[in-house]
Amino acid sequence: MNRTTMMDEVVNIIGPYILKILKYSDVTPYNFYLNRRKFVEALGLASLAFVPTPTLAKQSYSTNAKPNTIEEITNYNNFYEFGTSKTDPAKYAQSLTTDPWEITFEGVSQNKKKFDLAEILRGKAIQERIYRLRCVEGWSMVIPWIGFPLRDLIDELELDNNAKFVAFETVYRPTEMRGQKRATLDWPYREGLTIEEALHPLTFIAIGLYGKELPNQNGAPFRLVVPWKYGFKSIKSITKISFIKEQPYTTWSSENPREYGFYSNVNPNVDHPRWSQATERVIGEGLFGERRKTELFNGYIEEVGDLYKGMDLKKYY
Amino acid sequence: MTFSILFKSLPVSLLYCILLIPIPLYFYWGIVNQLGPDPLRLLEHKYGELGLIFLLITLSISPLFKYAKINLVRYRRCIGLVAFYYIVSHICVYFFLDIGLSIDLLLSDLQKRYYIIAGFFAFITLIPLALTSNNFALRKLNIKTWNKIHSFVYVAIMLSIFHFILMSKTWTGELYFYTGITILILILKIKSTKLYKKLSTYSNADISK
Repeated sequence: MNRTTMMDEVVNIIGPYILKILKYSDVTPYNFYLNRRKFVEALGLASLAFVPTPTLAKQSYSTNAKPNTIEEITNYNNFYEFGTSKTDPAKYAQSLTTDPWEITFEGVSQNKKKFDLAEILRGKAIQERIYRLRCVEGWSMVIPWIGFPLRDLIDELELDNNAKFVAFETVYRPTEMRGQKRATLDWPYREGLTIEEALHPLTFIAIGLYGKELPNQNGAPFRLVVPWKYGFKSIKSITKISFIKEQPYTTWSSENPREYGFYSNVNPNVDHPRWSQATERVIGEGLFGERRKTELFNGYIEEVGDLYKGMDLKKYY
Repeated sequence: MTFSILFKSLPVSLLYCILLIPIPLYFYWGIVNQLGPDPLRLLEHKYGELGLIFLLITLSISPLFKYAKINLVRYRRCIGLVAFYYIVSHICVYFFLDIGLSIDLLLSDLQKRYYIIAGFFAFITLIPLALTSNNFALRKLNIKTWNKIHSFVYVAIMLSIFHFILMSKTWTGELYFYTGITILILILKIKSTKLYKKLSTYSNADISK
């Protein structure tokens, strides 16, 4: 039995078990399949850690809302690296090479600072999170991500003392990302979180979607998902993660500091200077769909409210 | 005689039909869910963008005649009215579908949102122009008055482009394109005004001294 068939065997054995935990098959027509190298490797090696501790993958963080279809999720994207139109990423993101993929860590004391994606995924309890995504433009979706909490990765690193913030950087490859040839934004795209936000169990690294490998237009192969913040905080195609003392440079808040803050928590009471954030259009509801009332922290107030206790959310928007 | 009148007027009425087809067509595609994941935004933007395009075409007709000797003057009223119908459709989508007939939302938008304010005034500016774009008004009104009313189309285009700029997140390719055309049209218009000609003769005279 060669290596690949052995991996397939492993997947076949643990597959039904995963299906039991990952409930998305109830709500989508897609079957779980893990046929790509990265997934097989990650799950094959993770299975030991995964199987005896199924509580790790508990679904309490997922929303009960019905996820959008894969067509909606993969054809309506803001990923300016491939163009400013919502349909550009689906058209042009295939040109990005996502394998091999390396991620560099800064602000860590360990000698090894560069990791291959497969090395990072090794041993991670891969799970599904159905999260609501609210865009700063005033629309929302529900997305069944596959991945692991960012915290699981941070726990493995030897952080320098006093790291207060985490800075993320998207890959800069103008030859593969046509949008980067134009100065639409100050490339590379950068985002950041406070260390407390980064360590929050809701903060997630997505490597897949609907049980499949992450499509390029959704930020393959490795992206952040912070469900209580506006979508632009959830940076895609990450190649660098730094642990630093000062609040990092972040793309949109530098582009227009009055309109986009560092925190950018979803908040119906703090309008964007040019448009209201009180309601949102629900993608998938069609032409006559009703607007949905936007919730504070995108509905995750119970989970993340404590992070911002006593903070003036109008000042720190 | 009658035949030649018919021949002359037929292409214009045909042009109306052709240019207006996208209004019901896009709406139909919206209903049958053929406009992608966010049909409302697409429909709203499509009508708005086409309104802007036809407004810019209307405004290009006189510089085209003047500088390129292309005579489309016969179609100007038609294209101008088509632009107005697109803008009405755009506003209908906003009012009936986007904000769901909510007067409260409309009033708060009109107080706070600069892009809505700019768009709203662009529309208000265009109403008298649309109402006087017919032979009856032309006959009733003194030509100077009529010209004055219709010169407000330049105010409308400026407000429309502000509306577009203010609602955008960044300067996209389309935004540069439409803003560029608008600026060009405005420059050509300013150059053709009597005031500009007077001023330039004065300054030329100054230089030659």
